[in-house]
Amino acid sequence: MENLLHFAPDDTDRTDGILKVTGGATYAAEYQIEGMTYGVLVNSTVAKGSISNLDTKAAENAPGVTKVISHLNLNKSVPRYTKDENPTIDRSIQKVFYTNQVYFAGQPIALIIADTYERAVYAASLVKVNYEKAKNLTDLDKNLENAIPAGGKDYLRNQEDAYKNAPVYLEAEYHQPNNIHNPMELGSITAHWEANDRLTVYDKTQGVFGSQRHYASLYDLDSKNVRVIAPYVGGAFGMALHTWPYQDAAVIGAKLTNRPLKLMLTRMQMFTMVGYRPETKQFIGIGASEDGVLQGITHKAWGVTSTFDNFTEGTVGASQFMYKCPNVNTQYSLVKLDVSNPIWMRGPGEATGMFALECAMDELAYKLNMDPIALRMKNYATVHPVNNLTWSSKFLDECYEMGAKKIGWYQRNPKPASMKEEDMLIGYGMGSGVFGAGRSSATARVILDQNGKLTVQSAATDIGPGTGVMMKSVAMDAFQMDGDQIFIELGDTNLPPAPTQGGSNTTSTVGSAVYDACTALKEKIVEVYNQSFATSYVFTDFSFKNNDLEIKGKQISYTDLLKKAGLKDLDITRESRGGKERQLYAFNSFSVHFVKVHVHPLTGMVKVKEVVCAVDAGKIISEKQARSQMIGGVVGGIGMALTEEGVYDHRYGVYTNNNFADYHVPVHADIPPIDVMFVNKPDPYINPIGAKGLGEVSIIGLAPAIANAIFHATGKRVRDLPITLDKIAIWS
Amino acid sequence: MMNFDYIRMGTVQSTVKALDKFPEGKIIAGGSNLVDLMKRNVMSPNKLIDINLLPLKYITEFNGGVKIGALALNSQAADSELIKSKYPLLSMAINAGASPQLRNMATFGGNMMQRTRCSYFYDINMPCNKREPNSGCGALNGINRMHGIFGTSDNCIAVNPSDMNVALVALDAEVMLSGPKKERKLAFADFHKLAGETPQLDNNLKANELITEIIIPENNFFKNSYYLKVRDRNSYAFALISVAAGLEMNGQTIQKARLAMGGVAHKPWRLYDAENFLKGKTATVAVFKEAAALAMKGAKSYGHNDFKLELAPASILEALSKAAHLS
Amino acid sequence: MPDQKHPEDTAQDFTCSSRRVFLKATTALTAIALSPSLVTKAAQKHSDERIAAFFEKIPLNIEVNGKAYKMDTEPRETLLDFVRERLQLTGTKKGCDHGQCGACTVHVDGKRVNSCLTLAVMQEGKKITTIEGIANGEELHPMQASFLKHDGFQCGYCTPGQIMSAIACINEGHANNPAEIREFMSGNICRCGAYPNIVDAIVEVKNGGKKL
Repeated sequence: MENLLHFAPDDTDRTDGILKVTGGATYAAEYQIEGMTYGVLVNSTVAKGSISNLDTKAAENAPGVTKVISHLNLNKSVPRYTKDENPTIDRSIQKVFYTNQVYFAGQPIALIIADTYERAVYAASLVKVNYEKAKNLTDLDKNLENAIPAGGKDYLRNQEDAYKNAPVYLEAEYHQPNNIHNPMELGSITAHWEANDRLTVYDKTQGVFGSQRHYASLYDLDSKNVRVIAPYVGGAFGMALHTWPYQDAAVIGAKLTNRPLKLMLTRMQMFTMVGYRPETKQFIGIGASEDGVLQGITHKAWGVTSTFDNFTEGTVGASQFMYKCPNVNTQYSLVKLDVSNPIWMRGPGEATGMFALECAMDELAYKLNMDPIALRMKNYATVHPVNNLTWSSKFLDECYEMGAKKIGWYQRNPKPASMKEEDMLIGYGMGSGVFGAGRSSATARVILDQNGKLTVQSAATDIGPGTGVMMKSVAMDAFQMDGDQIFIELGDTNLPPAPTQGGSNTTSTVGSAVYDACTALKEKIVEVYNQSFATSYVFTDFSFKNNDLEIKGKQISYTDLLKKAGLKDLDITRESRGGKERQLYAFNSFSVHFVKVHVHPLTGMVKVKEVVCAVDAGKIISEKQARSQMIGGVVGGIGMALTEEGVYDHRYGVYTNNNFADYHVPVHADIPPIDVMFVNKPDPYINPIGAKGLGEVSIIGLAPAIANAIFHATGKRVRDLPITLDKIAIWS
Repeated sequence: MMNFDYIRMGTVQSTVKALDKFPEGKIIAGGSNLVDLMKRNVMSPNKLIDINLLPLKYITEFNGGVKIGALALNSQAADSELIKSKYPLLSMAINAGASPQLRNMATFGGNMMQRTRCSYFYDINMPCNKREPNSGCGALNGINRMHGIFGTSDNCIAVNPSDMNVALVALDAEVMLSGPKKERKLAFADFHKLAGETPQLDNNLKANELITEIIIPENNFFKNSYYLKVRDRNSYAFALISVAAGLEMNGQTIQKARLAMGGVAHKPWRLYDAENFLKGKTATVAVFKEAAALAMKGAKSYGHNDFKLELAPASILEALSKAAHLS
Repeated sequence: MPDQKHPEDTAQDFTCSSRRVFLKATTALTAIALSPSLVTKAAQKHSDERIAAFFEKIPLNIEVNGKAYKMDTEPRETLLDFVRERLQLTGTKKGCDHGQCGACTVHVDGKRVNSCLTLAVMQEGKKITTIEGIANGEELHPMQASFLKHDGFQCGYCTPGQIMSAIACINEGHANNPAEIREFMSGNICRCGAYPNIVDAIVEVKNGGKKL
């Protein structure tokens, strides 16, 4: 790896910042197209059965309505749907309006299209549906006996259930309910058939190419006939990793009416139409010697999925390698219920699994009368216990020390319910986070124009982390160029391919592509110079500084160079991907979260007072936004720990709190100052920029930190998220 | 939402006449609750009667208390120096409710008319006697964590969601109502009703009456007032339990006590027995605990809200201790 | 230009006949008359059902970001949908449509409100300010500049609402310390979790002491 001079200032603003603070950033439902129509979805109100009668007459006759689409009239209009009899396609996503069968409450069953939003909404209320109801099952606890193994996911290292033989061990059950992504932007799409075989979609997606492939496949189109545009995405956290039936509905509706169509889900529909982090029950058995050496870990999880999918998370994965432990067995089982499809949500798998593991570690530490950090350090893994590879970089130990020092960990009295201030019980807790540090392939294009300005292009989306400013920072570093000379274009299938944004991969993958393209462009500049001036300097003779090239003390601006060479611009496109290092090392990002909570001694109300995060994510590319992303994960983790829970009434299989008044995501008043510390050491192997990614480790480990802090404050172990005051039951 | 007629009224008299003439019409003031309910098709009035031009936005002190026009905004009262200094309990309660934006929209009359947040009431596909009489109570054997523990009936266990109402009932407020023939005055405590056999009715307002004014009699609680709201997040959430406590103290002796709770009943719930008990007592934790125990007489829970039987007395104790400056 | 055309093909709407009765009644009751002369005349003349479209809409005079609009609106149209869909000012966001998130926050006569829970027709004669109306040309409003500086957003979707709310929070006098700011900004949800940065941004503007 080359050493990058860090030129981009740590406080570089977002590339789309001005548009976002002025209201000028246009999200998927904010494009103006002549002849626009409005789509509103009608959804099922029962969880299982079939539609015996669907009366759309009144809706069709309502003012302004141009069409009503349902299983009654979809016929064979979508070629992809007719290829097989399955009610699902791709990753088990439902074909919309394909059947009269109802698989979950909130399933889209009809689309109303009208000339105004108000008219579409009203017409939707006129649709009358009769169901042949069947008994629905939505309760995980009551259906555990129907669990099926998730194919090929069981793991055993040496002896099974060895924890039972350890001198000190504990067994505990953990539970976490459905968490719903609930990005602020509702599921939104504008579909516009510009010709019979040419579709433009303004989409809420984490990956424009994934969406493009899907839409093209619906109508057997060549991918190049479908353009997906998503320069601004109002949050997603995983829910836009693939397309959903509502998006098909919009594309189909626009096709059948031959008019552009805009569709925005309601907040209620966001709970059932675009996935969620599945409810999961977990068992942990963990045992150690008297002096804290781990001897066995058993970790089992039962996760919810729909009846028509096998959605499986890596919930138990981290327990296999987080700590040095000779005996480990893990198992993941699926419980299929009459619910909608789950999908990955921030820190997928690990956020759930590490809640259990890191709570169990805390419990074990108390049993052993050890400091929780000392227990973790005692079992610190330096070689990946599953594949026996060394880590490309691992500074988790530094994270423990940095964070502990900052929050005053060692000054606390570890005895539960022993500390007070301002009449509140005080608790300190910590939890570690880990997530794979990946790198896939991406392509970037860099253009140097006659004004000496750079344009950097890649199709990656930016759902909030600041992908644009990351790309810009890499280019700034590469060219030692001021930010205002660099322009970023992203989120469009007309740009060079980039992977779907997810799994903390974007900086590593797209950032590397930008780096490689910049390097290639610099080489090209050198070549152009040598040709133009008939010289034969080598690359290292040159330095690049803002709009100028320097050679042996001489300076020439890019403008003059391009003029001299008779070129309008210089333009390089590079594909970039990981290589054999992926087989030689284990790659992970790490985090440690420390929290301090207040618990009210009478009511049990919890207030998080302080959070300190220490993070090993390799080199930090754009520090201001990286910090923001960490803070964001913490806020999400506070919600997961204390307030968020999708609540079904199992009698009907419907949500009772599918709105922002009753599903409590954290508000300003819930969030204390959050201190983020980066180890900020480049990973030498992962990629040329040394960055490992941190979107997921920002949330992983936060929920157990809070649960552990509440135990410290009160002496109550709550193993069931969210930790609401009735579960703490401070009065009992 | 279905389309509807819209009229904008200029006087109390014409409004009352319009109500009389169009019993299916609904008054709209701030709209923050009604528009929400109309979007969910929980309420579908075919006529909205906009009263925002009526001259009822005042907050005026008079010899004997303060008069608040029905159209005064919640934020207007919460930020009023008069209310903050003389009736801080009201200001605290209002600021504990909703959000600054909603408090800028919500009026006193509208807040009084706010309907329950019960999720079965809000979901038109669920049974709910309040929304659709005789359809059953979804919450009774359903998800009832937010629901009532006092004065409930098997017809309805929903709670009144307002914070403002809890403070007003504690402050012995009165309400002026205008009907087609006459005006009448009602104790605030008698404005809302229990569900009983008619859960579809939240209060005793007649269909052709308009709330015009709220009167708070002068009191001596301003030094010893506290509004405690216990909820699932630290702001912008409905109460699990709330307690309004106002004490008139002479040294450590309680001359007069006013106590009310939210999140526990179909109406803001006044704790008369506890108030009487506290009169003449010295303010101590032990006394407050006893008062809290008295207040819990007759409480009944429904499963998910069992914890309220413990949380409620703990909250009363905390609110009284804060009001008496014990903690 | 805003659309001022009256659709002419909505004769089947069922509310039209009752509306005529209502118009007469309104007059009788000395309500402040809203009926535009055109509509009144149409009602009096018992014109054919094609006129029904008129009855769907009520004229609306409204000022948005300093610009006066003479429009008409269906009574059921919210202020939020009016600015987004009719005026195409899409900076104001729809995050929940039920007053539970604050993404739709605008100022009405200087006060912050949830535009999703108020009807456009109720804003007759009012001055509305949206996120598009606070910068001075190319020069950002101090709150916009501070949000940018403190990275008070990620995806940007709640941002216009946060900024409109933040300005009002200071003007109301509820920004005297971070705890008070947190409480009085709690009506604006940010799912990306930019809260601490937003608070920093507000503190800086408040301390700057400029008139907002």
